[in-house]
Amino acid sequence: MPVFNFFHWSEKHGRTLNETGALVSVEIGVPAPLKQYLSEKGLSIPAPVSGFALVDTGAFATAVDESVFTSLGVSHIDEVPTDTPHGSGTSKVYPANINFPGMNVTDMAMERVIGCKLKWKTRDDKEILMLLGRDLLQYFLFVYNGPSSDVTLCY
Amino acid sequence: MSSASGAKMALDKELALFSRIKSELLKNHEGKFVLIRGEELIGTYDSVENAYTEGVKRFGCEPFLIKKISEQEEVYRNQALALGLMHARF
Repeated sequence: MPVFNFFHWSEKHGRTLNETGALVSVEIGVPAPLKQYLSEKGLSIPAPVSGFALVDTGAFATAVDESVFTSLGVSHIDEVPTDTPHGSGTSKVYPANINFPGMNVTDMAMERVIGCKLKWKTRDDKEILMLLGRDLLQYFLFVYNGPSSDVTLCY
Repeated sequence: MSSASGAKMALDKELALFSRIKSELLKNHEGKFVLIRGEELIGTYDSVENAYTEGVKRFGCEPFLIKKISEQEEVYRNQALALGLMHARF
């Protein structure tokens, strides 16, 4: 099982893990069946959107900022109930193709990603596009090392 | 249809149809995934992957619904989002 370490440090801010949470680089792209359809029709395939995923052990499902799907031209395929301390609501569900370039994990097909508004930038300018939830974490070994400001992920 | 507008389109018709035929679907297709476009039931599939592939093959970038056929719909709980921790500052 390959092991990947992500040291959370920047020249300007020093150790950043405590402030930002565990981040891994991510690329979110058009799902494979849609890619094939666009290719067969001679239509252009939108480039994957790059940013960072925040590892969120508190999240049942992986969530992605909805603007990503808008720029990829991917329509939602379901609407599901969500339950929060603030009340009940509904969220859209999208299919996506996920790459983790830092771990050589490519073309991970996810048919049920929650769309939401979560995009924001950390102090060291990392744009977070995704919450990496337990539906994906079940395939990873994850170590959070606070004192050394790094995280380890094995896939 | 531009794909960007597709992402914003609602699935109201599809969800209404699913709601109407859910009890019928539960009798023989519980646990499977149903593919619905407009007011037409396209079929039921063993996996969401198969349903999505079929949906794209038939409708391309147009919106369609894929819903798991189950008595109780799963409720998604994302506590960090729910509590607004994404934007917390210390």
